[in-house]
Amino acid sequence: MIWKIAKKEFLLNLMTFKFAVGVIVCVILMFVFMPVLVNDYEQRLKDYNENVAANEAELRKVKVYKNITPTVYRPPNVLSVFGRGVDEQLDNFEKIDIDQVSGIGTTIIQTNTLLSVFPALDVALIFKIVVSILALLMAYDVISGEKEQGTLKLMLSGTTARHQVLLGKLVAGLMTLIVPVTAAFLVGLLALLPSRMVSLTGVQWFCIALMYFASLVFVAAIFNLGLLLSCLSKSSAISLVFGLFLWLFLASILSNSSAYIASQFRPIDSPDELSGKLKAVTDARKSESDELTKGIKKDGSETVTNALGAFGHTYSALCNKSEMDYRRKLYPVTEPIKIKYVDKLLSLKEMHMNGLIRQKQLAETIAGSSPIVLYEDLMSILAGTNSGGFKQYIDNVRDYRGEVADYIRSKTENFTSTFYFTPCKEGDYERMIEVYYKTVLEAKDKAKKAELYKTVVARFNRMVKETPSLDLQDFPKFTYRPRSITQTLREAIPTLGFLIIAGILFFSFSFVAFLKYDVR
Amino acid sequence: MIGSIVRKEILENFLSLRFVLSLLLAIMVFTVSGFVFIRKYQQQVQDYSKNTNQSLAYLRGHAERLYWVATLKHEIYRKPKALALCAEGFEKSIPNYFLLSAFSRDYPEIRGRTNALLFGFYDVDWVYIISLFLSFAALIFSYNSCCGERENGTLRLILAGPVPRHKVLLGKYLGLMFMVGVPLLLGILVNLIIVTLSKDVALGGCEWAKILSIGVLSLLYLSIFVLLGMFISSRTSRSVSSMVILLFLWVVLIILVPSSGRVVAKTLRKVPTQARMHRRVTEMEEKWLEDLLAGKYGENAGSTSPNIGECNPPARARGYTALTEARNKITDEHINQITAQVAVGRRFTRISPTEIYRQACETFSGTGIRRFTELRRQISRYQADLKDYVRSRDAEDPNSLHLLYDEMATAEIWRTISHNPVDFSTVPKFQERELALGQSLQLAIWDIGLLALFNLVFFAASFVSFLRYDVR
Repeated sequence: MIWKIAKKEFLLNLMTFKFAVGVIVCVILMFVFMPVLVNDYEQRLKDYNENVAANEAELRKVKVYKNITPTVYRPPNVLSVFGRGVDEQLDNFEKIDIDQVSGIGTTIIQTNTLLSVFPALDVALIFKIVVSILALLMAYDVISGEKEQGTLKLMLSGTTARHQVLLGKLVAGLMTLIVPVTAAFLVGLLALLPSRMVSLTGVQWFCIALMYFASLVFVAAIFNLGLLLSCLSKSSAISLVFGLFLWLFLASILSNSSAYIASQFRPIDSPDELSGKLKAVTDARKSESDELTKGIKKDGSETVTNALGAFGHTYSALCNKSEMDYRRKLYPVTEPIKIKYVDKLLSLKEMHMNGLIRQKQLAETIAGSSPIVLYEDLMSILAGTNSGGFKQYIDNVRDYRGEVADYIRSKTENFTSTFYFTPCKEGDYERMIEVYYKTVLEAKDKAKKAELYKTVVARFNRMVKETPSLDLQDFPKFTYRPRSITQTLREAIPTLGFLIIAGILFFSFSFVAFLKYDVR
Repeated sequence: MIGSIVRKEILENFLSLRFVLSLLLAIMVFTVSGFVFIRKYQQQVQDYSKNTNQSLAYLRGHAERLYWVATLKHEIYRKPKALALCAEGFEKSIPNYFLLSAFSRDYPEIRGRTNALLFGFYDVDWVYIISLFLSFAALIFSYNSCCGERENGTLRLILAGPVPRHKVLLGKYLGLMFMVGVPLLLGILVNLIIVTLSKDVALGGCEWAKILSIGVLSLLYLSIFVLLGMFISSRTSRSVSSMVILLFLWVVLIILVPSSGRVVAKTLRKVPTQARMHRRVTEMEEKWLEDLLAGKYGENAGSTSPNIGECNPPARARGYTALTEARNKITDEHINQITAQVAVGRRFTRISPTEIYRQACETFSGTGIRRFTELRRQISRYQADLKDYVRSRDAEDPNSLHLLYDEMATAEIWRTISHNPVDFSTVPKFQERELALGQSLQLAIWDIGLLALFNLVFFAASFVSFLRYDVR
C-alpha cells in the first residue's frame, strides 16, 4: 500500500510546475557556476605553484644557513568548490624564521580579503538555498493541499491506515528530491573532472560520496520539516507562508544573527592586548639572551662586510677573525633561545586562533538548531575547509619549523660553525684587506685612488657572485598532510547525526500531528 | 474609490498570518540588531580613542625634532561610524589601519577585534534586514495579489462594477505598500529607540537627515518587490506558480547575483598575489641598491660616513627619494588593483536591485569600499600636507641641508632635515572629512535613479499585464 501511494505521488510530483522549475534551475546553476568555480581553483593552484617555485629559487641562492627563511604555502583544496568554509579567509602562507612569527594581531591582507564583500559561492550555497526551497515547496501541500482538494478524506475513507499514507508520501517526496540532488551532483562532477589540473585522490572521492549522502540527508530533513508544517495547518497557504518565513529564518537570519551576536558576546583579544603579550614574550627573550651573553664581549676590532643574499636578507660576505670568534661564541647561545621563544610566539598565535575558533563555535551553537546551518558546516567539514582543517595545516607548519631548525642545527654543529653566518673562511678577510691596503692606501693620486677603489669593489662583487650557494639537496621539503579520513569522519559524524536526528524528529512530530489531523 | 480599495486591502491582510509573522520577525531582528550594534559601537569607539590617543602621543614625542616628524612613521586608524547601524559596508574585512611617515606609506592592514573566520557572514544591519527579510515579506504579501483574488472569485466581482482596472491596481499597490511599510517603520522605530536611549551612539542632525534618506530609499527598494510580485501575479493564473517564479527570482537576485560577484571579479580582473608583490618589492630594492652603489645617483651615494669628504648627501637624497617613490608606487598599484577588482564585481552585481540599494545606503552611511578609496585619497593628501609642513619648517633652519628624503639615520648624522623642535599644535593631524548630505546625494544619484527606474519598469509591466488579465 505504501509503495502504491508513493508511486502515485512520485509520478504526480514529476508533472508539477514547481518540480520542473526546481530541477531546471538546479541544473542550470550548477552548469553555470561549476566551471567558474573550477577556473577559480585552477587560478589558485597556478598561484600556489608559482609561489612554491619562487621559494625554491630563493633556496638555491642561499649562501649561509642563517638566511634560510623559506615561506611555506598551503595548497588550495579542490573540494573547496563544494564547501568554501574558511579556506580563503585565513593566511595561507607562513614564513619560517627563528626570529619572529608573522601575523599575530593583524590580519595580513590576502589578495582576496577585500573580496569578502561578496558572500561565498560554492555548491553548498546552491544546495542550501535552491534545493531546500524546492524541498519545502514539494512538502508544504502534501497533507494540507490534499485536504483542500478533498482527496485526503477519500483516501482515508478506505482501508488505508493513516501511517501508510504518511509513509507513502514521505517515500515519494524523498524519491522526487533525489532527482535534482543527483542531477546537480552529476553536472557538477562533469564540470570538475575534465580539468587537467584536477586529480582526485581516493579519500577525496570518498568525501564527495559523503557530501552526496549528506545532501540527501539534508534535503530529507527539510522535506520532513515541510511535512510537519503541512500536518499542522488546515490550509496550504498558511503552511506555505509559515514555511517560507521559517525557511528564511533558518537559512539566513539565524546564522547571520548568531555570528553577529557571537562576535560581541565572546570577545577576542584586542590588538593592544595581543601586542602587550607579544612584547612580554620578546622582552623575556631579550632579557634571557642578554643575561646569557653577558660574558661574550666584542674586543673592538671586529669588521664585517655585508652583501645581499637570499630571501631579502643580507649576510656577512667577509668577516675578520675577531668577528668570527665573537659570533662563534654568540650564536650557540642566542639561536637556541630564539628557537625556544619562537615556540612561545607560536603558542600565542595559536591561543589567538583558538579564541577566534571559540567565537565561531559559539555562533555555530546558537545557530545549530537550523538544519541549513548544520548542512553548511557539514559540507565544509567534509571538504576539509573548516577550522579543523586549518588547524591541521598550522600543526604541519609547526612541525616543519622544528624540522628546519633541526636541519640547520645539525649542519652547523649547533650553530658553532662559521658557515652558519658567513661563507668565507678564516683569513679571507685579511687577504682582501692586504689587497686594499696595499693598492688603495699607497696610491697618492686621488683619481688613481678612486680607480683602485673601484677595482677592489669589483673584486669584492665578483667574489660575492662566485661564492657557491649552499648545497641544500637534503633540505627538508614541506609536505602538506591533509586530515586523514578518520579525523574527518570523527568531526563530521556528530553534525551528520544531528541532521539525521532533526529529520527523524520532524517526521515523528508530523506523524503524531497527522494521526490527529481533521481531514474533513 | 482608491481609498476604499486600499482600506479593504489593509483590513484583509491586517490579521493575516503573513502580516503578524513579518511584523513580529521584523521587530525581533531589528531589536537584536540594535542591542548588538550598541555593544559593538561602544567597543569600537573605545578602541579607536585609545589607539588614536596613543598615536597622537607618539606624534607629540616626534615633535621634539623636525626630522623625526618627517621620517618616523605614525598610525592612522579608521573612525567607527554611527551610521554603520544602517549599513556596515563589510568594513570588518576592509583595511582600517594605515602606517605612514611624511614620505612613505605602508600597505594598509586590518587591525581590530576582527575574526577572519566570521568574514563570510553579513552583519545584521538595516540593509541586511531590509534587503533580505523585508523584500521576502514583500513578495509573500504580493504574490497572490491578482491571481489569489482571481482564484477566490472576488476579482471579477470588483471589476464587474464601475471601478476602472488602473484604480484597482493602484489601490492594491498602495495597500500592499502599507502592509510592508508597517513592519519596516515599526522595526526601524524600535531600533532607533534602543540606540538613542543607550546614549553611547551620538546622532547629529546630519545623521538624522541621512537616516531619513535611507528610510526613503528602503521604501523605494521594497516597492520594487511589491511591484514585481504584482507583475508576476498578474501573469499567472495560479498563485502557486506565481510563488514558485517569485521565489526563484528572489533567490537569483538576492543570493546568487551578489555571491557571483566574487567569481566575476576574479575572472574579469586578475590581480597578482601579495607574495608576488613582495617579490617585486625585493627585486626592486636589490636593483636599487646595485644602482646606488654603482653611482647612478651620484658618487659615493652609498656612504654614510659623517665626514664631509667621504659622503654625498644630495646623491643619497636622490637615491632614497627614488626608492620611496618606487615603493609607494608598487604598494599603491597593488591596492588600486585589488579595489578595481572588487569594483568590477560590484558593477556586475548591480543588475540586482539589492546591490544597488546596498551601495546607495553605504554612500549615505559613509561606510564600505567607497569610503576606503576616499579615505586613502584623504590620507595621501594629508601626507602631502605633512611634507609641505616639514619643508616650510625646515626652510626656517639655517643649519639644515634642506634635503628631504626618507632615511632617519643620515638625517640625524648630516642634518639633512632640521633638528629643531616644532610646536605640536602646528603639526598637521589627520581628520577624516565626512560627506555632507548633499554630497552623499550627489554620489548616490545614479543608484537612486536606477531604483526609481526599476520601480517604473515593474509598475508599467504590471499595469499592462493587469489591463489584459483574464479575471474569469
